[in-house]
Formats: sequence, C-alpha cells, structure tokens
Amino acid sequence: MSIEIKDIHFSYGKMKALEGVSLDLSQGAVGLLGPNGAGKSTLIRILLGFLSPDKGGGRVLGYDIKDEQPKIRRYVGYMPEDDCFIPGLDAVSFTSYLGELSGMPRQEAMKRAHEVLYYVGLEESRYRKLETYSSGMKQRLKLAQAIVHDPKLIFLDEPTTGLDPNGRREVLELIMDISSKKNIQVLISSHILPDIELTCSYVVILNKGKLAAQGDISELKEIRDLYEMKIKGEAGGFLRRLKDMKCKVEETEDGIFKVYWPPDQNRQEIFKIAAEEKIQLRHFVKSETSLEDLFAEVVGVD
Amino acid sequence: MTIKEKGYSHWDGEFLVKKFPWWPITRYGIKLTFMRKFFKLTLPMSLLPAVFWLTGIYISERLEDFPFLKGETSQFLQIDPGYFKIYFTQGFMLFIMLMIVIFCGASLISDDLKHNSLQLYFSRPLKKKDYFLGKIAVIVFFLFIITLIPGLVFFIMKLVFSGSLKFFISYPWLPLSIIGYSFIVTGFFSFYALLLSSLSKNRRLVAILIFGVYFISDIVYLILRSEFRSHYVSLVSLRANLQQVGAHIFGQKTPYDISWIFSFLVLLGICVFAGFFLKSKVKGVEVIK
Repeated sequence: MSIEIKDIHFSYGKMKALEGVSLDLSQGAVGLLGPNGAGKSTLIRILLGFLSPDKGGGRVLGYDIKDEQPKIRRYVGYMPEDDCFIPGLDAVSFTSYLGELSGMPRQEAMKRAHEVLYYVGLEESRYRKLETYSSGMKQRLKLAQAIVHDPKLIFLDEPTTGLDPNGRREVLELIMDISSKKNIQVLISSHILPDIELTCSYVVILNKGKLAAQGDISELKEIRDLYEMKIKGEAGGFLRRLKDMKCKVEETEDGIFKVYWPPDQNRQEIFKIAAEEKIQLRHFVKSETSLEDLFAEVVGVD
Repeated sequence: MTIKEKGYSHWDGEFLVKKFPWWPITRYGIKLTFMRKFFKLTLPMSLLPAVFWLTGIYISERLEDFPFLKGETSQFLQIDPGYFKIYFTQGFMLFIMLMIVIFCGASLISDDLKHNSLQLYFSRPLKKKDYFLGKIAVIVFFLFIITLIPGLVFFIMKLVFSGSLKFFISYPWLPLSIIGYSFIVTGFFSFYALLLSSLSKNRRLVAILIFGVYFISDIVYLILRSEFRSHYVSLVSLRANLQQVGAHIFGQKTPYDISWIFSFLVLLGICVFAGFFLKSKVKGVEVIK
C-alpha cells in the first residue's frame, strides 16, 4: 500500500485539525478535496512527515510516518502550490540541484534533470534563467523537480493554479500520463473539481477535519441519483416532504430543482408526493452527477 | 505541446546516504555568489591586504636589500604575533570581511523566503541543521579565503623566507591562534549574516542591515564613550569586541581595559541568539501552506 493511515488525530492547540482519519490508498491518481480548513494541508504535512499525529499512525510507501520521515521524503515527490524557484539558476541546474538534495549522485542528477525537463516540455528553455520563465513554465518546472528523483508517490498541490486553458490541459495530460503509464501514484489536492474528475479515479473528501467520503468517483456518484425538475404550484410542502425522505434538494438560479434521491427509494414516490401536494411536474430528467454535485452534497456547500 | 513519451524513464540508480547532505547547498551557494555582479572583482581586491602583509614578511627577511625602509618602518616589519594580530583585527580588514559577507550572505535566506524555496529544500530528506550548515558553509568558504588561508600562508612563508624554524620555536602556538581567531570571526559573521538575512525577503535591505548594524554599533559605542568614559561601553561595538578577542588570542595587549571574556561572551551571545531565532523562523512544516 502507498498510503495507509489509521485513526489519525491532530490538533493545533485547542483547534482540532484532523479527527479519526483513516485511509488506505494503493495506486493511481487520488484527488484530495475539501473546503478551506478541512484539514487537507495538515494531512499532507503528516504524510510528508512534517507533523507527528497526536493519535493514530500509519505508513507511506511502507515507511512509518512517525519514525521514518526522512525516508518518506526521499521516495516522495512534492509539487508546491506557490511559485518557488532559486534565482540565478537555469532549469537544468535547478532540477539537478534538487535531485542531488534528494540523495542522487551528482552526475545522475544532471542526466535525470535533462530527461525530466524534456518530459515536461521545457527542453528548449532548459538553459534559460528561471526568473524569465512564464507561470506555465514555472508550473512545469515544479513538476519536473517533483519527479527528478523518480519518486514512487507524488503530492501535487493545486497543480493547475494560474494556468491558461492550454497550459492547464498540458499539465493535466502530464499528470494523467504519470499516474497511468509511469507507475507513479499521484495524490492531487485541488479546489478545481473538473481537474480532479479528469485526472483521478479515486477521491478523498475531508470536511471539518473528518473524512466525509472516499471511494471511486464513479461509485460515489451512484450512491444517490440526481434528478432535475421544474415544478408549478406551491413548492413548500412538496420540498418539505422530499427532505423528510432524506433527499437533498437544491434550487438553481434558473428555477430548476436538483433532487438527490437515495437509490433505495422508489422514484415513483416523487410523482406520488407531487400529486398529493397538487404540484405539476413540468420537467423531470435524470441528470449525470458531477464531482461538483457530489462535493456539494458531502460537504454541504453550493 | 505534446507529452514527450521517450523523455521519461524510471531511474534505476541508488540513492546515496550522504555524509554531508548540506554540501550541494554550499556548492550552489558558492556558484551563485560568483555569478553576482562585481564579486569577481571584489574577491581579488579583498586579498590585497594579504598580499601587502606577505610582502612585508618577505621584506622583513631581506631588510638589507631595502635600506630605505630602515628606521620607523622596520618596526612595522617586526614579524611577531602582533603582526598577525594587526592583519586580522584592523578595522579595514574587518570592513573587507563585512563586504564579503554582504556579497555572499545577504541573500542566503532572504532569497529563499522571497522565492518560497524553503518548500523545495524541506520536501527533501534534509534536516533544518543541514540547511543551515549548507548556508553557513558558503560564508565560511569565502571568509576563510581572506582569514585562515592567508594567516597560515603568512606563517609558512615566514619559515620559508627565514630558512629556519626559529619563528616556529618562538611561537609554536601561533598557528592555533590563526585557526582559532579565523573560526571565531568567521563563525560570528556567519551567524550575524544569517540572522539578518532571515529578517527580510529583500536582499538589498539585508545588505544595508548587515552594514548598518555593524557601523551603528560602533557609532553608539563612540557616543557612549564620550558620555560615560568607561571601557565597558566598548561591549556595544561589534568591531571593538572582535578586536578585543583577537588581541587576546594573538597574545597581545587588549585595546580596551576590560576582560576579553566579556567581548567573547557578547559575540557568543549574538551567535546563540541567532541560532535560536533561525530555528524558530525557518520551519520545515511551513512548506505546506
């Protein structure tokens, strides 16, 4: 298992950042989602070995998160969210430097730097000073430094922040290639849900320090059916009765009601309740649940 | 741009468990310092006093060839520990050290703060201790070029020019003094520069601070001296403390009428404070925001 943690608790003073989080992630690309303050950064800090959990424990790539932190960082790659570089260096020197800091021999690090810069599409500008790089190039460079030492697992923190649509597509292509063809597990923390939906098959959603949901995206989407409907008449009673049946109902700006219907319930009930409440259903369509819908439902935000 | 399929293959090498994991930081720090404007000119210039002192050692052994230097000048050419003390502790030499420290030390941490590079260092198997050692070693490297190395060269060349071991027999402890004072002055300036470098993301501001704090401490000393007429006020001057300790280490009369221990403790205190400050300022955990 790449990441195996059990019952992790962590507090900053009195504030609980993580409460009883357990994960068992083995391969492929995993999306880590959650609103601000959900505990994502704390979780990555613990997985990288910067923080030791108050309670619970686990392993990353087989190394104990409490006792073998430097080993974890040797075999894990990390791509930070912020722009970060070392001024005065060109891309080759920068990437090989960080390879050396990971423990690679000097000459091998230099050779690998050329390879990974070619891989991320910076081969033509690899001798340019980093100060002259555009945002998109810096983002690729951050990816290059994260994979220079051929990690078995990489953490990507908001990998598409600040990119134009083309740059975003290219970085996502790289991430998909890394996770699907290069046998490197990827954990992506992002607020851009379509990016997660495109690159990841598995998702972990944190909310208020607790694990709100985890699983295959396709399976999670099937937990509830989503129906879109337009209604005519006094909606109050109808919606109240739907909510009593543990449905989640949202109204969109254009007057469409999104109803998350539990799969164990018969959808005929919707029509029955509408008839009893003297409501006309003018539009009734089974909709595809997106990750955004799932996230909104799990976290309880629009 | 498409993905370069052939550009990526798994690395089949082995990671080294390095004895000195901080060495790449030092190597790149030295490389970046040499890339700075004017530094290639400043470093040779900073060696001019050493050349002058070395010439003095040569002349002292060949005074008969330089008759015009007889008299008062020949007193200066008396090669003894005092000659070495003057080289190491004269105000001009300390000023040169300060300039070198500004070139190589001002940006060491401030640039990392400005460009968020700490995240890159600490997401690697690197301890905080390794990071600081790597940075300090950059300053040590450049300061040793103008302190330790010339000092030892003076000593060796004195023996070579005189063609006897008489000087060594007279002052067998002198090499230790050279090494000891070089370590003290270099250690102090290293902690001093790193402390100030961690205060700001602006390299120029740090350079001004390194320069300013040193000279302001001297100005404050001069003001206090005229006010209180006590030698103890010399403890506020960084220059005076370095000179006081230097004089003692080279076995000379200290310039201020107080124990050199006080000056040593002031310098040590600054280093200890800098160490604690740096430890709390640079946090590995902050790499993930």
